[in-house]
Amino acid sequence: MSLSLKKTYTIILLLAIFMIIVGFWNPNALMDGLQRGSLYALIALPLALVLGILGVLNLAHGEFLTVGFYFIYMLNNKFGMDPLVSIIPTIIFLAILGGIIYYLTVKKVVNKGHLSQLLITFGVSLILMEVVNIIWTSQARNVYTQYAYASTEIGGFRFGTYELLYVLFAVAVLVGLQLFLKKTRLGQATFAVGQNPKGAKIVGINVEYVYLFVFSLAIAILGIVAGSMLPRTAIFPAVGSPFTLKSFALAAMAGLGNLNGILFAGILLGVGESAINYIPNYGGWSDIVFFGVLIIVIIARSYRGAK
Amino acid sequence: MKRNNLLIVSLVLILAFTFSLSALGQDDPIKIGAVNPLGDITGRQSTNAMELAVKEINANGGLLGRQVELVVVDSEFKPEKGAAAIDKLATVDEVDFFVGGMSSGVHMAQIPTLKKYKKITIWAGAASHQAEQAIGPDADWYFHLHPWDYQQGASYGRGWTAIAERNEEIDVGKVFLAYEEGAFGTDSYNAYKSMFASAQEGEGPFAEIMEDFAGASFKSAALGGGDYRAMLRQAKEYNPDLFIWAGYDADAVPLLAQTREVGFEPPLFVGAPPGWPQGFEANPLSDKVILYGMWAPALRQVNEPAAHFWEEYIKMHGERPATYFAPLGYTNIMYLAKGIREAGTLEKEALITALENTTYDSPLGTTLEMSPSNIIKHQGFTAQKILQYQNGKQHVIWPFDLSTSEIEYPYSF
Repeated sequence: MSLSLKKTYTIILLLAIFMIIVGFWNPNALMDGLQRGSLYALIALPLALVLGILGVLNLAHGEFLTVGFYFIYMLNNKFGMDPLVSIIPTIIFLAILGGIIYYLTVKKVVNKGHLSQLLITFGVSLILMEVVNIIWTSQARNVYTQYAYASTEIGGFRFGTYELLYVLFAVAVLVGLQLFLKKTRLGQATFAVGQNPKGAKIVGINVEYVYLFVFSLAIAILGIVAGSMLPRTAIFPAVGSPFTLKSFALAAMAGLGNLNGILFAGILLGVGESAINYIPNYGGWSDIVFFGVLIIVIIARSYRGAK
Repeated sequence: MKRNNLLIVSLVLILAFTFSLSALGQDDPIKIGAVNPLGDITGRQSTNAMELAVKEINANGGLLGRQVELVVVDSEFKPEKGAAAIDKLATVDEVDFFVGGMSSGVHMAQIPTLKKYKKITIWAGAASHQAEQAIGPDADWYFHLHPWDYQQGASYGRGWTAIAERNEEIDVGKVFLAYEEGAFGTDSYNAYKSMFASAQEGEGPFAEIMEDFAGASFKSAALGGGDYRAMLRQAKEYNPDLFIWAGYDADAVPLLAQTREVGFEPPLFVGAPPGWPQGFEANPLSDKVILYGMWAPALRQVNEPAAHFWEEYIKMHGERPATYFAPLGYTNIMYLAKGIREAGTLEKEALITALENTTYDSPLGTTLEMSPSNIIKHQGFTAQKILQYQNGKQHVIWPFDLSTSEIEYPYSF
C-alpha cells in the first residue's frame, strides 16, 4: 500500500522545493494552497480506500458528503449543536447510511464490471441529491461560526487559522488508516482483501464483511470532512458533487491504493491551484492547471511503467 | 311540408345545441399557465403570489364574468423541463396565456416553443440580453417585466450618481468587480468594463462618478469553489471605493466571512447575486451589505400596494415574502388581469393593444407600463433599486422617493 522509501523521500523533496518557491513568491498562496490541498486530500482518502480495497469508483462520494453536511446543518438548526461537535454523531449516521447503501446497491456489483459499478453509484448519487433537494430545496444554507474565520498575523503575514484544521485532520486520518491497516487484525485482513480477494477468502477472511466495513468506514470519514468544512461553506444539493472528480483525480495521481500519495498529491495540486489564483487575471486557469498537472503525472508514470 | 318542418326543427335543435355549448364555453375558466422552479424559493414564492392574485381576482367576480384558473408546471430550473412545460400547458391544459418564470438559461430554451404557439405571454424573469435577442423585435405577443441586464447596469449608475451627489462623503471613483467565472459573472464583468469605457469618454450611467475600474474572477462555491482569499487580497491591494461581487447565493456568507479573515473593509460592499441564502438577513455578516433588487419588505412602509400585498400574502400562505419574485409574480397576474378587463375581450389583437396601454401600480413600488427596450416592443420595468441590510432588515436606499432608510456608510465589520 506504499511506495518505496526512496521514492517517497524524492517526492517529499520535490514537493518541499515547489512549496519553498511558491512560499518565497507569495506566502499567502502557499498557506492557502496547503490548507486547500489538505482538504482535497481529506476528501479523497476515503474514496481512494474504497477504490483500493473494493475496486469500486464510488461516483456518489460527493453526495454522501452532501448528506453529511445537511445532517450537521439539521443538528445545528434543531439543537444548536456546533458543527465540530456534530462530527461524532455524523460519523455514526454516515457509517450506518453507508452500510445500508452498500448492502442495497454496491454489494451487487463489487465483482461485476466497472461499467455496472459506475452506473449503480451514479444512480445512488442522483437519488441522494434529489432527496436532499426535495427535503431542503435548492436554496443555499449556511451555519455561521465566528471562529471559522479567525486569522492571525506573524511579522506582517496575515493568514486564516481555521483551515489549518484540514491539515491536522488529513494527517490524522491518513495516520489512522495506516495504523488500522498495519496494526489491527481487521486492517490486515482488509489489506489482504485489497491485494487478493480470492486468496483472502481461501485463508478464511470474510471478504463480504471486509467490503461492508471498508465502505461504511469510508463514508463515515466524510463526517469529519462535513463537520470541519460546514462552518466555511454554503450548502446546497450539489455542494459535494465537484469533490468526486477532484478526489478521483488525486487517487489517480497518487496511484491505486497509495494513501500517502493522496496527501502529497492533494498538497501539490492545492498549492498549484492557489498559486494560479494569485496571478492577476489568471484565476480562471486554476482548474486547467489542476487537471493539466494530473495528466502530466499520469503520462509520466505510464512511461516509467513501460520502461 | 312535413319534411320542411323536420328540417326547421333539426336546425333549431342544432342551433340550440351550438349555443348551449358556446354558453358552456363561456362558463369555462380563463386558464393561465405558469412555469416556475418550485424547488427554489424564487419560484415557490412567485407561484404563491400568483395564487394570491388569482384568489383576489376570483373573489371580485373573475374576469369577463369567468373565473380564472392558474395551472402551474415546475421547470426545476432545467431548460429542457422549462421548454416541455410550455408544450404541456399549450396542448394538454390548453391555457389561454403563459406567465412565469425565472432564469435566462431556462427561458432561452423556452423561447422557440413560445414562438411556436404565439400566445400572449407575460414573462416575469430572465434578465439576459441574449434572451431579448432570441425573442426578437417581431414578437408583439410577448411582454417582459424584469429589467434587462443592461437596463439594470444603467440604473445602478444612476443610483450611485444620485447617492454620491446627496452624500458628499461618499466617493464611487474606484470600482472593483469580483465576478464568478461562469456566464453570469463574466457577463457582469463585460457590462461593467463597457460602462467604464463609456465613462472614460464622458458617456453612460457612470460618467460622472467612475474614475477607475478593476476586476478579478473567482470560482463560485456553486461550482465547487468557495476560496475567495486570492481574489479578496487583490481587491484589498486595489483599495476600491465600491466593491461589488457578482456570484451566487452560495458565495454570500463564505465570501463575506473571508473578507474579515483577510482584513478587507471597502467603504461600500455590494452583493449582486440573483438570490440570497436562507436567513441571510439574520446573519451578523449581512449588516451594511448593499444589494440590488426590485423590492424590499420595508417598502410596505411607504407604498400602499406593497403593504396590501405583504399582509394578504402572509394571511394566505402563513409565511413572509422573502424575494422580489413574490411581488413580481403577483404583478405578473394582476397586470394581465387589468389588461383583460380594459380590453373587455380575450381576442388577441385587442388584448395586445389594451396591455400596451395598461398601467399598474405594483407592490414593487413602481408603476408598471410597457415601453420598447433595445429590441422588444413591450418591456415593463427598466430599473433596479439599491437596497441595504441594516440590523437584520432590507431597506430601500435608492430611488429616494421610495427610500425607507438613509445609507449606512462606510461598511465596517
